[in-house]
Amino acid sequence: MTNIEKLNHIFCEVFSVEEAVLNSEFDSKNVEGWDSVRQLSLTSAVEDTFDIMLDPEDILGFTSYNDAKSILAKYEIEL
Amino acid sequence: MALWEIKNVALRGVTGTVPNHVVKTADYDIFTQEEADVFDNTVGIKNRYIGPDNLCASDLCFDAAERLIEALGWEKNSIDVLLFASVTGDYKTPPTSGILQHRLGLPNSTFVLDVPMGCCGSVYAINVAGNLLSAGSVKRALLLVGDTALRMGSMKDKSRVPLFGDCGTAMALEYDPSADDVIIDFNTLGEKFQALMTPHGGFRHPITKESYIEEDFGNGIIRAPKDTLINGMDVLSFAISRPPISIKNVMDKYQLNTDNVDFFLIHQANKLIVDRIVKKLKLPLEKVPYDLQEFGNLGGASIPMLMTYNLADELQTRPLTLVCSAFGLGLTWGTMVLKTKPIKVISINKL
Repeated sequence: MTNIEKLNHIFCEVFSVEEAVLNSEFDSKNVEGWDSVRQLSLTSAVEDTFDIMLDPEDILGFTSYNDAKSILAKYEIEL
Repeated sequence: MALWEIKNVALRGVTGTVPNHVVKTADYDIFTQEEADVFDNTVGIKNRYIGPDNLCASDLCFDAAERLIEALGWEKNSIDVLLFASVTGDYKTPPTSGILQHRLGLPNSTFVLDVPMGCCGSVYAINVAGNLLSAGSVKRALLLVGDTALRMGSMKDKSRVPLFGDCGTAMALEYDPSADDVIIDFNTLGEKFQALMTPHGGFRHPITKESYIEEDFGNGIIRAPKDTLINGMDVLSFAISRPPISIKNVMDKYQLNTDNVDFFLIHQANKLIVDRIVKKLKLPLEKVPYDLQEFGNLGGASIPMLMTYNLADELQTRPLTLVCSAFGLGLTWGTMVLKTKPIKVISINKL
């Protein structure tokens, strides 16, 4: 599985959605059920999958699919 | 800097009482089975014990207190201090600690105090009582910590309903010049008081008809201003950043590490937050007991219930160095280092 596939898989699992809906509109404002629990689930899964430790500000900034990709780039995860 | 090194105070015993009624997440009609399964697996809370509306935190604490006093063999006349740490007292006034002094048959010479500090309740109680006992003027303190937090909020608030369990705990502290210092670090972030609050019902916003008007906030959260709320993002931001710093600072200052600490007792807010603190500090999992899967978030009673449910054998048989972390309402957070010699741990009772 490539890194982008791994990331997409995490989003699909956490939000129970199909991969096709993951785009620039997929964010905490538009997605029903995106609350603090989902956000921490998401970031925990990302940490475990990519073997990284996110800073608290990055966990709090993980509020969209695009943000997720930008934050992972900071940790030198190539997507 | 609010850092204490409390001398001459020893923990003698601990126990807890819960209602005899277990509730699974799927038992709440606001959840489908699928939603309940997701909640159980992510937040980690599978069971919680919930009492009827006429069962108060003071009733659970009373039961715990009676059993602990008997097990310790303490004469009631020898108890000088009674603290009740709770945000769910019997009445708005008077303080519940006075009522408990009477119910427990403690002497009129007892000093009583209510400590309504939420999830930091047990650490606040040990701090206050420890400092009262330290000089030796008074010798014995009974610390009762418990809440029935579910009924503070809306039963249509999915962000809150499944989190909390009812509980009452009792701890016994005694003046003891041979005891190791109790180290306590406390901090406050009052600017974020709205992260965990009950908007109406105090004197800033007394109860009016508007207090009962429900609003739909989305994500399964329907509540009125009389209901206690959780601003999840603010709490998350606070809980993953502040407590680990306090724990690390205290451990560094007192040369503590994952080898010379026996257990880390972390407030059981939810599994994601506890896991986060564990991961951040690289704590060995075998030294971090969890009981939230069985009891849910017990507020201030988290730490004494971890002692009772998870550490009974260890606490009764050998000296332990415990690093305890509490965080919540206020917002407040604290780290406590408690070195115990073998103490009485009485099994949990279901009332």
